[in-house]
Amino acid sequence: MTGYIGRRLIEGIITLIALSFVVFGSVHLAGDPARFLLPISAEHDETVYEEQKARLGLDKPFIVQYWNFLRRAVILDFGNSFTERRPVQEILKERIPATVHLAVAGMILAVGIGVPLGIISAVKRDTLLDRICKAFAIFGMAVPQFWIAIMLIILFAGYWGWLPAYGRGDTQGWIPEWSQIPNMFRHLMLPASVLALAIIAAIMRLARSAMLEVLDTDYVKFAQVKGMGDRVVIWKHAARNALIPVITFGGISLAGLLNGSVVVEVVFAWPGVGLMLLDGVLSNNYPQVLGAIMVSGAAYILTALVVDILYGYADPRVRLN
Amino acid sequence: MATPDLVLTTAQPQQSWRQRLAEKKLPWIPIVVLLVLLVCAAFAPWLAPHEPTSLNVINSKLAPFESSEHPLGTDVLGRDMMSRLIYGARTTVQISVTALALGAIIGTVVGLVSGYWGGWADAVLMRITDAALGFPTILLALVVVVIMDPGPLAIILAVLLTVWARFARMIRGDVLTVKGYDFVTLARITGVKSPIILWRHIFPNVANTLMVITSLMVGQIILLEAALSFLGLGLSPGAPAWGIMVAEGQEVILDVWWLSLFPGVAITVVVLAFNFFGDWLRDFLDPKLRRAG
Repeated sequence: MTGYIGRRLIEGIITLIALSFVVFGSVHLAGDPARFLLPISAEHDETVYEEQKARLGLDKPFIVQYWNFLRRAVILDFGNSFTERRPVQEILKERIPATVHLAVAGMILAVGIGVPLGIISAVKRDTLLDRICKAFAIFGMAVPQFWIAIMLIILFAGYWGWLPAYGRGDTQGWIPEWSQIPNMFRHLMLPASVLALAIIAAIMRLARSAMLEVLDTDYVKFAQVKGMGDRVVIWKHAARNALIPVITFGGISLAGLLNGSVVVEVVFAWPGVGLMLLDGVLSNNYPQVLGAIMVSGAAYILTALVVDILYGYADPRVRLN
Repeated sequence: MATPDLVLTTAQPQQSWRQRLAEKKLPWIPIVVLLVLLVCAAFAPWLAPHEPTSLNVINSKLAPFESSEHPLGTDVLGRDMMSRLIYGARTTVQISVTALALGAIIGTVVGLVSGYWGGWADAVLMRITDAALGFPTILLALVVVVIMDPGPLAIILAVLLTVWARFARMIRGDVLTVKGYDFVTLARITGVKSPIILWRHIFPNVANTLMVITSLMVGQIILLEAALSFLGLGLSPGAPAWGIMVAEGQEVILDVWWLSLFPGVAITVVVLAFNFFGDWLRDFLDPKLRRAG
């Protein structure tokens, strides 16, 4: 087991370094921040430009610049944001909790709805309920996230006026104060639902097919023959085993959600890392782009790693592979 | 995990293509939707009642069915919604087809090489494939836009980067199976050169898989393209693309709701049609793959 964890850890670190190299290289190719940062008055003044370059460390060879970037990225130091004129690290500290809240809320919704629906549609196979669930899954995978988000805003925020249309409300940081919790949930409702929609479909289908497989096994049939109640057989004997692949998938989706929320964050003006990344890309704000991508990528790789390790505990066949 | 059972069944009497088509009913609704899409894309200038970009501030924000001249209404700048939707079909088809074709070609070549030669080339190529598959698509697209500046090329490249790996993975799996068949071994023994074996003996046997993946990927590609356009990473603002139209409508959703509604419906319907068609094609061409989906 330790060998397996060690191997996965090393793989994770290598992926992370490769990611940092690709991202830093891309930004390096993209343009010259020194010229970008010149005040308009000194736009054609080469000495000011050279000074700026030296100050930012851009006169050194690429590999030295990359090394400096890597060294500072380890302690999450990405320099100052061009537009906000303060450290990217500070912005990240405000943004990460927002993205994590949203991803976790979306995940809880997706699992909470997708797993029971999948199990029920496996048990009540080929009934009307199963068909409705299937139609919902097909629809969930075909509808664009950004569009359904706007439609929900039109209905729930505009027409009925039940929920706030955008933003995170008064919540700041990781843990809201007691009085802010209702407000936090009201703001989370719409974006988390949109985020959940696409995964609900996948989780539902996965839970359904895993459940169908388990329902066909001898031990489930034996439990039934023994005369145990349907409820006990389904939820205690069958569901427990059917859920292992679902949980793995859920973990990997969570990793995806930590990043995949860019679109949702944009529509709902949710102050998370995704929105920060898009703003950075559209305004050539390189330190902000580097910070946001590195944090997102690291979160993705680390979550996938943890899921893999947990899966290795749950299913010995995985780690022996 | 999702590899289909590869146990060879005993030889079945070959049904002709026509017989099987008669047995399995064609999915008419998706086919009609796709034909409409293709006709709109090909003949947009003739079909559209107005120029998609011509402004007409006097007739702005017309509701659908309010004026017979603008059946689906007009947007904030008075541009005809129906014409923009028709031209949007053209944009969608152009970008998706280009990205898909390039992705299919690159992915197939990688899959063939990797599966046939194996060894270190396979190890390296599959590592790269894993990396491409493991990285979230939107992030990858954003990295591309950082280098290239927003534009149709950036979108095509971004989509391409995520698509090719899926092709490579599936094709490689198929090649590994086909490689073991007797006719390949015989060809090798008789001294046929590797490129010819790949092209004449192996490729025809993975062509079905290739068609099935292609048709199943289209829907996802259209969604990705729309999302990138929506984020402002594709064509310039104002261009007739469905994702951009939804984004433009978003600014005024509370009083002109139809601006976002119609392009979104168009995307959903087209993606649904492609998904249904892909499912049908998979069942038709290769029932074996059914479990892999």
